[in-house]
Amino acid sequence: MNSSLIEIDGIHKSFGGVKAVSDVSLNLDAGEVVAVLGHNGAGKSTLMKMLAGAYPIDQGEVRMAGAVVEIASPAQSQALGIETIHQTLALADNLDAVQNLFLGRELMTRWRTLDDYAMEAAARKVFAQLNPNFSNIRVPVHALSGGQRQVVAISRALHFNARVLIMDEPCAALGPEETRMVHELVMRLKARGVAIFLITHDMPDVFGLSDRLAVMKNGRVVGTYRTADVTEDEVLGMIIGGRPVARVEQQVRRAA
Amino acid sequence: MKSLQLSALDVRLALMAAVLATMAVFFHLATGNFLTPENLYNIAQQTAVVGIVATGISLVIVARHIDLSVGSVMGFVGVLIAWLQYTLGWHWLAASAAGLLAALLVGIYQGGLTAYLGVPSFVVTLGGLMSFRGAAFLVGNGKTQPIMDETFLRFGGGLNGALGITGSWTLAAALLVLLAWRVTSSRRARARHGFPSRPLLADVVFTLGLVGLAIALTGAMCAYQIPGKSQGQGIPVPVVIWGAVVAIVSFIVRRTRFGRYVFAIGGNPEAARLVGIPVRLVTLQLFILLSVTITIAAIVAVARLNAGTNSLGTGMELYVIAAAVIGGVSLAGGSGSVLGSVLGALIIQFLDSGLLLMDVGIGQRMVIIGQVLIVAVAFDVLYRRWSGERLA
Repeated sequence: MNSSLIEIDGIHKSFGGVKAVSDVSLNLDAGEVVAVLGHNGAGKSTLMKMLAGAYPIDQGEVRMAGAVVEIASPAQSQALGIETIHQTLALADNLDAVQNLFLGRELMTRWRTLDDYAMEAAARKVFAQLNPNFSNIRVPVHALSGGQRQVVAISRALHFNARVLIMDEPCAALGPEETRMVHELVMRLKARGVAIFLITHDMPDVFGLSDRLAVMKNGRVVGTYRTADVTEDEVLGMIIGGRPVARVEQQVRRAA
Repeated sequence: MKSLQLSALDVRLALMAAVLATMAVFFHLATGNFLTPENLYNIAQQTAVVGIVATGISLVIVARHIDLSVGSVMGFVGVLIAWLQYTLGWHWLAASAAGLLAALLVGIYQGGLTAYLGVPSFVVTLGGLMSFRGAAFLVGNGKTQPIMDETFLRFGGGLNGALGITGSWTLAAALLVLLAWRVTSSRRARARHGFPSRPLLADVVFTLGLVGLAIALTGAMCAYQIPGKSQGQGIPVPVVIWGAVVAIVSFIVRRTRFGRYVFAIGGNPEAARLVGIPVRLVTLQLFILLSVTITIAAIVAVARLNAGTNSLGTGMELYVIAAAVIGGVSLAGGSGSVLGSVLGALIIQFLDSGLLLMDVGIGQRMVIIGQVLIVAVAFDVLYRRWSGERLA
């Protein structure tokens, strides 16, 4: 059996006695998009924050390419090639787009000072790929539009060559134009072999982008299916009712 | 094009410089002796102690913390340095090093409680405000510790504590050459990378403005002659020290990871954590940096007074925080500048000295300075609303 790019195996997380995530197992292959669905409080964001290194994992393990990995901090997660686009975007509003792109991973000169020229040059390249009209990259990001802020957050994943990308509600606050940009980007990264977890509420996102989907309720995975095997009504039924779809076989691993 | 516009920060600094100039002219017209070499020399010296600590506390406030204990810690460290020299007979260098060590321990203690235990810095340093004032009493049993060492006394300015005429002009010339080199090399580097530069005219006007200011100030300092001395004083040593601290802290803010992280934490602590910034470590380092500036200020203050007294630095936290806030540091975090703290410290000192020259009593002066602080913050709130800057 060849192993997936990333495998989550039986992980648990509780906050002071409240179980947020219990016994969740999920896997993801290179070039695959898996949508993670569920109500607010179903445990999706908690699950993803554990992969991002923002919350420690209570129990269970994460394997990448078959080897058990430790994700104790955001820096460790990034070092493993996991990039996360948080729902809040995780931008420092008072810093500009270039500074935000490299925040925590600044390029340094050989005198160990910030290499602003190298960072601005690299940033211009990445931003141009995402949105050629994005020119005010040297003003604090609080002055930017929602779509431009999203570009800044996404550019991190692009620039640092994510192997695994976690997108938490990437289109929630975007207009149609910007949503299309995010969709295009997902397809492009997928074609490059990036493995993507897509957390979303939006059915067109799910059916337009994902290969498989996993529905969560009360901290558990209700079911994992090939997106093509289930209907929108069945998915909504799982989200609300929390019972797996009986007529189709679950696809815990991607069928070859 | 956006990049050609002046940033909100530039406008704010220019505005503050204009306020300073207006105050100078007003006080000069009202008293007839505000813009004299002697008065400017004294103001420059007097502002240095508050100004040095204001650079450090600006960064602490930018990162959404506060330190109310700076005056007490400076008193404690200052008395300690004086006591080691006078009562124990230590060399001033050893005494200063011991003072720095004590300040670092205080910084690690207070910063550690804030960063790693999560006790609000307001509470930790409110306790420190009491405790370290007490510690200043305990050193030498509350007795004043005089200082005799001629070399050490130069740090405080005074009779021999200035660079002299040749030294002052040499320093001014060196700084101007450095400035011109910085401006041209930055333009060249931007051009090499194909980035837009500021308009040439803006850089030229800015540089010439600073050249003019430097020449005027150096000239004024050199024109001040203490009666009985054969030569003008030149730039006082405390001002040189203050300038060096400002340069170093500015460098840290603009060119190091640490400086960038301080602003990121102030702008959005949660985002800083999510992108992998070691928020706790940076917070601890911030308090350690503040401790270094406090030690430097303590050395200057003790040398200025020729003695360490247990009341050294009493109430200074108010002036230091006011200087930072008047200088544009937002108490909500994430915005502020080191240069702003310099102008903020000068505005307070201008006000204090100007009112003193106008024979306004201490009571009225305190009333006025307190209200000016409120006016400055009210203006800050309105200015941010106008410039569209979101308060975090």
